[in-house]
Amino acid sequence: MLMGAGGGLWYVQHLKSENEILTLNNAKLNDAVDQQQAVIEQQLKDIEQIQTINLQLTETNTKLTADLQLAEEKFNKVNASGERRDIGNLALNKPKSIERIERKREQQRARCFEIAQGSPLTEEELNATKKSQINAECTNLANPNYIPY
Amino acid sequence: MREQVIEVLKSHFGDKPIEDNSHLMDDLGADEFDIVDVILQVEEKLNITIPEEETFDIMTVSQLLEVVGNHVQSD
Repeated sequence: MLMGAGGGLWYVQHLKSENEILTLNNAKLNDAVDQQQAVIEQQLKDIEQIQTINLQLTETNTKLTADLQLAEEKFNKVNASGERRDIGNLALNKPKSIERIERKREQQRARCFEIAQGSPLTEEELNATKKSQINAECTNLANPNYIPY
Repeated sequence: MREQVIEVLKSHFGDKPIEDNSHLMDDLGADEFDIVDVILQVEEKLNITIPEEETFDIMTVSQLLEVVGNHVQSD
């Protein structure tokens, strides 16, 4: 009987010891799960950020493509006979004229930035209603009274 | 010479009415590059060369005709 009681005591102590080990292991597992959850949450945030950046890049790319097309149309536009203007050929044959136009456009672009930063429109800009009077680089911004015709 | 210049203008700007006092930008819809293009085409058509400085202020058909006329006579 004594042996039976001893065996029982040993068994209980063994169970207690195993239970403590299991409790410790469980705590470690919980820590590991918490850490993994934190990693997953961070990864989800990263993915969200990457998706946002991708979206912004796509929007920028779309805008740049549109701008490029606009510039292409502006520089190499097609005349009434369907002939495409070759700006390279013009620059080759009339370099001073093209340089002069580009200088004027550069000044107009600088003015566009001024207006965008809050500079008030001049009387001349406000009263511009003819194509020869407008700022060709940002007509919508600089010449609100100009109606394209 | 006049007919040839008008021909270049018509091929460039289409059926818009072209008068001596027509403004290349305001009436015909040209931009600055169009004006250079027109001058180059006129030079090629009439086989003349106009110094660039003389073309900087061309804004109307009559100014274009005048400058071209000076070179058709002198070339």
